[in-house]
Amino acid sequence: MHISEHPVLKEKSNEKVFFYFNNHRLEAKKGQTVAAALMANGIRKLGVSRKLSQPRGLYCSNGRCTSCFVTINGLDHVISCTTLVENNMQVFSNNNDPEIRGEKYGN
Amino acid sequence: MDKSTIVCRCEEINVDEIETAMKNGAETFDDIKRLTRCGMGPCQSKTCLNPVREIIAEYTGKPLADIRISRMRMPLKLVRMSALTNGSEGGNVASVFGESVEDGETNDE
Amino acid sequence: METDLLIIGGGPAGLHAALTADRAGARVVVADESFSLGGQLRQQTQWLSNLPGQYGYGKKRGTWVNEQLINQVGASNVQVLKKHTMIGSYLNGNIGVSDGDKTFEIQSRKNIIAPGAQEEAKVFPGWTLPGVMTAGAAQILINREKVLPGKRAVMVGSNDFSLEVARQLNSCGITVEAIVEEKNQIICSDGELVKTLENVPVYTNSTIEIVTGAGEVEHVVIQTPDGLKEVNVDLVCIANGFSPILEPFEIMNCHFVYQKELGGWLAAYNIHLQTTNPSCYIAGNAAGITDFGSILLTGEIAALSALEAMGFISSAEGTEQKSRCWRELANLESEKVLQARTEMLADYHQKHELDLPDYFMKIKGGKMYG
Ligand SMILES: Cc1cc2nc3c(=O)[nH]c(=O)nc-3n(C[C@H](O)[C@H](O)[C@H](O)COP(=O)(O)OP(=O)(O)OC[C@H]3O[C@@H](n4cnc5c(N)ncnc54)[C@H](O)[C@@H]3O)c2cc1C
Ligand code: FES
Repeated sequence: MHISEHPVLKEKSNEKVFFYFNNHRLEAKKGQTVAAALMANGIRKLGVSRKLSQPRGLYCSNGRCTSCFVTINGLDHVISCTTLVENNMQVFSNNNDPEIRGEKYGN
Repeated sequence: MDKSTIVCRCEEINVDEIETAMKNGAETFDDIKRLTRCGMGPCQSKTCLNPVREIIAEYTGKPLADIRISRMRMPLKLVRMSALTNGSEGGNVASVFGESVEDGETNDE
Repeated sequence: METDLLIIGGGPAGLHAALTADRAGARVVVADESFSLGGQLRQQTQWLSNLPGQYGYGKKRGTWVNEQLINQVGASNVQVLKKHTMIGSYLNGNIGVSDGDKTFEIQSRKNIIAPGAQEEAKVFPGWTLPGVMTAGAAQILINREKVLPGKRAVMVGSNDFSLEVARQLNSCGITVEAIVEEKNQIICSDGELVKTLENVPVYTNSTIEIVTGAGEVEHVVIQTPDGLKEVNVDLVCIANGFSPILEPFEIMNCHFVYQKELGGWLAAYNIHLQTTNPSCYIAGNAAGITDFGSILLTGEIAALSALEAMGFISSAEGTEQKSRCWRELANLESEKVLQARTEMLADYHQKHELDLPDYFMKIKGGKMYG
């Protein structure tokens, strides 16, 4: 949920941004990170772990733990807590390791 | 604590696997890393460094001050292969394999 | 790219160092991996006291101080590279940065590395579930992102930072259902802060038994001396203290020391905030977890040392300015941290057979200048 009235900080930007998560159109505020924008829409599970496929989401919010990986505009393993959301961004949850041995890469 | 508790979030290595590595002779974080992949995932042990050190301390009975950190190498942060090659002017990067050259050397004061 | 002074990290330590060097006429580049400057100061809405007097900041909110620093940097000649991450070093000793598209080296005469601190994890069954996050992450979400990370929370840890974040979560409408502390009493030393949370149950001598939920946090079981206690919450915050960030220093071949009171392992440095790599200085929380005034002052000392080494200021002026900074730091910094810091400095100077300046004895005991 967005915080509409912050106890200390005055709201600066209310400019809306629209983006997609797993093909669903969602609303965010300009200046928010992708992870926060998803959280504002009630989405906290951002993907699954590589071995046991357990749910993962934002943990450090500082770009250090890589727990918040998502796919953005076709690029896999993007750290969503340090990436700002943009209009029309296509975000997908991170459900596998990126394909690096596939045909696409000539292997 | 439950021994199946995950310590390394990236590679999903649990307490039991770390202790088993130590039973098999691992003494340092890097030994455990080589045996289990603990700390070898995308975050490169930034998150599990001290939890693992604490498990080593408890298992060996040594003070935390004697448990070294893992060896950290380039790239320091997640970076795309394309970004590594774009604009870089050749092979004068300090060796990624520095460790094998300086094996046994530590950065302790 | 080429410059006199390269600063890695645009948090308060890096920015204050940049301003100090800019005023003396050095060309300064600040590279920070984030999309905005300010580091961890960006989400600190609480009041900061213990600010160095010369800044005229008085007692101010962290976010306000942050704006001041950023405005000053904006009005200076400092060149800022946002979204530029230090990822390694070159054989010639230069630092390599990447902006995500390309990687390049920055040729500098001196570097100040000020990457800050990271929050320590606390491992328990279920800590990998979405909805379990560091207290700092929750603070970023409410204050920087203006997003609620949950509705009902458990705070793991009871240090000053845990309780401050618990208070802030509360004031945003999140109910803190429990504070869980493994020690036998609350760690927080700020009585006023403890009082603001007097309605929150505190479980001492207690640990998290397990966190469960379908896909995200729903349920927490706490192991208390009176048996298991269960709460239905959707947020678990971990506040297990901070430790200095190490990896940029390792790549610059800096040596490390262990000092518990400074946050554990950290790059060793001398009284000039110079590491064992003579071209690399250290500042801020990376040089030991401390309070805000000391974070600014270590930035200033590092900058003064680099300026002196590059010839932008005379060594007499460097000594005078640095002795002022150290004196001020000795007055501001908590006794425990100052003692650990001076111990580490004395060891370093002895090991490397370096003289300690006269003013060192005066800061050693701390608070000598009253
Ligand atoms: C999560 C958290 C919460 C905190 N909350 C409080 C609080 O409530 N009250 C309080 O008094 N203090 C708090 N602190 C302490 C706080 O860290 C200091 O007040 C201050 O922000 C530290 O300043 P700094 O400049 O040393 O580091 P930081 O503010 O952490 O700045 C470091 C900067 O370096 C950048 N960086 C790191 N690595 C790289 C790299 N490889 N390449 C490029 N850039 C890099 C980061 O993006 C960051 O901007 C908190 C610290 C943390 C970590
Ligand atoms: S939450 Fe840790 S990297 Fe994004």
